[in-house]
Parts: sequence; structure tokens; C-alpha cells
Amino acid sequence: MDLLPAAALLAAPETLHPALWRAHQLGRSREAAVRSGFELLDAHLPGGGWPRQALTELLLPHPGVGEMRLLAPALAGIAAAEPPAPRSVMLFDPPAPLCGWALAQLGVDAQRLIVVHGRDGAHGARHLLPSADLLWALEQALKSGQVGAVLAWLPLRLRADALRRLQLAAQSHGGPVFLLRDIEARAQPSPAPLRLALHSAGIDELALRVLKRRGPALMQPLRLALPPVLAPLPRARAEAARLAAAATTRARLGPAAGSATMLSLAE
Amino acid sequence: MLWIALHLPTLSLESFAATLGSLRHALPLALLQGQRIAAVNRVALQLGVKPGFKRATALALAPQLRFGQADAAREAQALRAMAHAALAFTPMVALDTEAALPCVLLEVRGSLRYFGGLPSLQQQLRAALAPLGHNCRLASAPTALGAALLARWRGGFELGAHVDELSALRQRLDDAPVWLLGPGREHRDALQGMGLHTLGDLRRLPRSGLARRFGEALLNELDRARGDMPDPREALRPEPRFEARVELFERADSSEQLLHGAMLLLAQLVAWAQAQHARISGFTLAMRHERRHRGDTDTPEHTELPLALAEACNDVQHLQLLLRERLARLALPAPTLALRLRCDQLQRSAAPNGELFPTAASAQQGLLRLIERLQARLGPDQVQQPVLCADHRPEHGTAWQPALPQARARLPSTPAQAPPLTRPVWLLPQPLALPEQQSRPLFEGRPLQLLAGPERIEAGWWDGAHAARDYFIAQAHDGALVWVYRQRLPRVEQPGEGWYLHGRFG
Repeated sequence: MDLLPAAALLAAPETLHPALWRAHQLGRSREAAVRSGFELLDAHLPGGGWPRQALTELLLPHPGVGEMRLLAPALAGIAAAEPPAPRSVMLFDPPAPLCGWALAQLGVDAQRLIVVHGRDGAHGARHLLPSADLLWALEQALKSGQVGAVLAWLPLRLRADALRRLQLAAQSHGGPVFLLRDIEARAQPSPAPLRLALHSAGIDELALRVLKRRGPALMQPLRLALPPVLAPLPRARAEAARLAAAATTRARLGPAAGSATMLSLAE
Repeated sequence: MLWIALHLPTLSLESFAATLGSLRHALPLALLQGQRIAAVNRVALQLGVKPGFKRATALALAPQLRFGQADAAREAQALRAMAHAALAFTPMVALDTEAALPCVLLEVRGSLRYFGGLPSLQQQLRAALAPLGHNCRLASAPTALGAALLARWRGGFELGAHVDELSALRQRLDDAPVWLLGPGREHRDALQGMGLHTLGDLRRLPRSGLARRFGEALLNELDRARGDMPDPREALRPEPRFEARVELFERADSSEQLLHGAMLLLAQLVAWAQAQHARISGFTLAMRHERRHRGDTDTPEHTELPLALAEACNDVQHLQLLLRERLARLALPAPTLALRLRCDQLQRSAAPNGELFPTAASAQQGLLRLIERLQARLGPDQVQQPVLCADHRPEHGTAWQPALPQARARLPSTPAQAPPLTRPVWLLPQPLALPEQQSRPLFEGRPLQLLAGPERIEAGWWDGAHAARDYFIAQAHDGALVWVYRQRLPRVEQPGEGWYLHGRFG
């Protein structure tokens, strides 16, 4: 094996090892990532999709901003046919009862879903602290390596070592792991290599801000068109109504704003 | 014929030590027979206690010495487990239950080729017996009794004695001491007095005289050992249902202590199931409790812990894991004195093939084990799977059932539907009544903007949960879409149009 010339190595040190990347590049991973189903998002995620064997943290203001529609294409791919076999999707402590038909409409096979609740029961009160049983179950599922994808709704207050344990356990898990937490957790440090903040950006649209990734910081939020809830016609009507409302607001505000300027000028 | 004899020289002591749990390697133990010590373990030996001492002498040397009594039933149970484990190697396994020197006999001539010769067979046999935790000595010989005698004979066979030829066996036996034979032990002093020390000495005497003095039995046994007389043995058959018990040495307060006792029983259970080429699909562990005082009728005498497996298996590790989680969840009313394990649920079918590469079947099995483990700790109702029901009412459209493979009916495959989505992913457990302002629903203090609808759902008049609703897709102030409905038939007690939030489009 002949060695690469030193100059070539210095010019492109990232060729030395898959774990190396330069600050202006996106990181890579040895395993192929899971395609998210959104081309714009894939282009901005290291490895070109949701990472495997690592935690992905999604921070959202409240459940129901479009997080399931964001994840559905990737989950549907895992539950449908991925070698060697279709694999299961495990959901830990979802925030509300799931509607199986909606998931079926999103393409996720309901037979492949397994929902695990902590001790408090399916409709138990949401606690600020995670139950030890749930963390144990989550770790077992990750360590077993038999689950296709894991989604876990974790509370805001979570000890750092619990997250670190999960990150270690995720290394023996072949698929993506999504931790969904409240947006307040943004300020807390986390060992997850990918952290995203989600916001609703209008009808069937999601604004996604990359808080942390293996690569350069991304300033602008990404706007993703989600699988639509509204049929084209009502959607067009709603858009038209929104534009009209904005126009009237501007028209109403216009003269007032102008007079304010006049006033300040007169003074 | 080639017989392997397994002699368990310290069976009584080991089966007593096993009831002590994890302490057994650290404590000095001694087995009492009457007022004298019959056997001691290594720790006691280091303290200077030797078999044959009186109880008081031993206590003077080692005050922390623990005494146990030999228990015939306990030993028989341990011996049977060894025989069950040996059944994996040959169908002809017999027990030689001679009082003081228990032996398991295996006829292995037919199995030699399959297991790759005698040395390899013996190695695998030792490996198979290791989980039961008994010290055993092996010997092989062309006759059953000959093998048993060689295994019991301590003289110079540290690694066991192996004789292939009948003539060689006869030569060896001529040097064996007379006390090896059962009747020889009875008449030991008389034989010693006559200067008869070995079986060779015995054989050189006239048979009729010997028979008159010591009975026919002595000569019979000698002849059977030497192969001069047929020695039919009855093959052991495993019982159709397994039942084993262990009396704990100390009362167990914690589940960890219980688990130590249960592990002993589990090893025996797995040996029993393997002997029948079957897999365990469930068992029951019963714990006998201590009464707090005489006439205490509140404390139940037993607690039973039934354990059913999603998929039959013979893996001790997996069974242990399940039992550990179940025991950790169990609240016991009183300390436990004894454990009993019963099993009659066996699955007799061809064992699943081992896989070199991951396949669909092995992935499915791995997932089942994971679910089983989670259910053992969290409870079966906490690990669920959705079942889609053909019902228009959203709250009845998805039923939840424990994620257990047997209970799972094959679902009709859901028709692939093109967008748009018509149902929200998140349903509220209870529809949330929304306040109104100018006949528009308010959510979090801001008016909702209705974007699409109404979609009328009217169903359920037949089962008492009548729903007559007009559903709308609405947008909340932060842009997220929600699912709201208006009661079509306003209730008398609820004025207004009755707006409710029922779901969120996640």
C-alpha cells in the first residue's frame, strides 16, 4: 500500500478517518443515515439523514407542531422493508393517545408499533421527572439492538448522566433514536450529537432550527413542507384569507404609521 | 457396551450448601451425621475441621461453623437433575442409588461417534453438568458396575479412570479394595480380619465358602462388576411434570435472596426440559412463608408466582432475567422459608435452528424477548400495540392491547391512502371543552381559525356512546393545526354550541 503524499493529506485531512471533518464541512458517519424524506433537510444533516447509533433531540414548544409528520417518512421506511426484515418502532411515553388511523395514513404500519408507558399508566399524569422504569426500559430497548427506531418523550428535567447513559446505549442500536423534549431544554447541555428545535410555521409547514450538529452552525431555520392535512382547495382559500387579512392590517396600519412619522418630524 | 459412571462424592454437602445462596463459598460448612461430622467444605478444612470430628470439637476450632443435616430428598432431587442433564448424551441413563455413594450411569457406546470420541464426549458432559454446580468424578468401563466402582475408588485416579477392554477392567478390579462393594462395606471388619483387602483376594477364595459366610450378594456384585453376570439396568425416564423444592437455610427477606434459591431450581428445570427435548413455556414458583406467630391466619401460607413465556425457551439466562424482574415487582407478605418450582407446560416441537447471520426470524425472537423483559418489569398493560378498528368515532378507532404475539390477531392491512391526512396523530384522552366568543371557539385565549370542514361523524347510537359531531380543522394562533368539533345536538345543561378540542395534527 503506498502512502498518500503528505501534502495531499494536509490539503484534505478529512480523508484520513470517517470521524474527521473540517469546520466548514458537514460531518460524516460510517453507517448510512436514514433518509428523512425531506430533501432540504437531508442536505443539511450530517451524513445526509437521521443519524443511526446516536441520539437525536427534537425540542418543541408543545406536542402537535408537526413532529410526527416530520418523522413519518423515515419511520414508514423502517417499518416497511429494510433489510433484513421490517423492524418495529417503539414509542416511549407518548404525550397523548395515538390515533392508529392517522399513522396508517402517514404510511406507518400499525402492526410494527409498540408503545411503552412508564409505571404511571397510559393516561397517567405527566411528571416533571422521568420514572426510573421508563429510563430502564428505554435503555434495554436501545441495548438489545432489536428495535428499528425509538421515539421517547422525555421530561424537561433530566439528569445529564441519564442522557449520557442513553447515548452510550444508543451505540448498540442500529436505527435512529429520537428524544422529544420541551423547547425549554434548549439551554441545557446534552450529549446528543444532533439537536433540532421545531416550530410551526403556518399551515402544513414546519420551521426547523438546527441547534447543534456535526458541522458548521446554521443560522436560518429550514422551512419544510409537511405531508398536508388540508386539501388543496381549503388550503388555497386559507392562504387567500391570510393574505387578505395581512393586506387589510397593512392598510389599516399604513396611515397611522405615516402620521406617527409626521408627528416625530414636527417635533 | 461402554458405561460412564458419574460419581458425586460431595453431593450431600453441595446440595446443602446450595440452599445458602451466595454465602456458600465464604462460610465454613459441615454436614452432620448423628453427632459426628460427615463432610466439610474447603473453608472449614482450612480452619482445621476434618470429617469424623465431634460437633463440640469442630465448634471449638471454628465457632462460626454452620451445620447442616443430610436430606435424602434434597440429594435425590439433585441427583435426578444430574441424570436429566446426562440424558442429552444418551437415552440410557440409570441411577445407582446406593446409600452413601450415589452414581449416575450412562451407556454411551452408541453416542461416541456423534460426540467425536470418548474424550470429547466427556468434555462436553462436564460442560453440560457444570451449571448444576456439583463436583463429580468420571470413570468409564465396559460394565455398569465396573464403571461405578472405578468412579468411587479414590486411589490414584484424579482425572477418572478409563478402561476400554473387559480384561483390563478385570485386572484393575483385582487391586480394588473390598469396601467398594456394597456388601463388602457391611462386612468390612470381618473381611479385614480374614486378611482380605482387595477384590483379587476375594476372588481367589472358594466361592461356596464365601457365599456361606457373607451371603450371595457379595459374589453377585463382584460377578456383575467383572462382566461374568448380566447386569440389566432400567433406563431413567423424566417425569411428565416437574416439581422441585428447596428449603432455604435462612429465611429470605429480599428478592435477591429468593433469586439465589430460585436459580438452583431453574437449572434443574432446564435440565429436565432438555432431557425431553422440549422447551419451557411457563412455570410457577411458589414461596412458602413464615408465620409471624402461632395462630397467625392473616399471612397466607404460600405466594404463587406464575410465569408464562411468550415464546418457549430453554435459556437459563433469559428465565433468570424474567424471574428477577417479576420478583422485584412482587410484594411479599412475609419472609420466605422454602421455594417450590412446578412446571407442566412444555412445548414439544423441533427446536428452532440457530442462525449465523441475522434473519427475520432471529430479529423477531430478539424483539419478543425484549418485550417480555419489559412486560415482566412494567406489567403487561404498559407495553401495548395498536389495533385498528373499523369505527368512525376517533376515540374508538384505535384499540390497545398488550404486545403479546399469541393474543395478536392478524390485522387487515390498512389501505394505502393518498394525502391529505384526515385524522390527527394525537387524540386528547378527553375532548377539551373550548370557550366561545362570538360563536367562534377560543383556544388558549385566542380565537381559532376554522380552515376546513365540517366533516360530520355520527355513529355509536347502538352502544350507548352516541356521537353526533361536526369536525373542523382549525389553526391555532401559533400556526399549528388542531382538530375541533361542535356537538350537533346541543345539550340542555351546556348552553352554547359546544365546541371541543379533540386532537392535534402532530
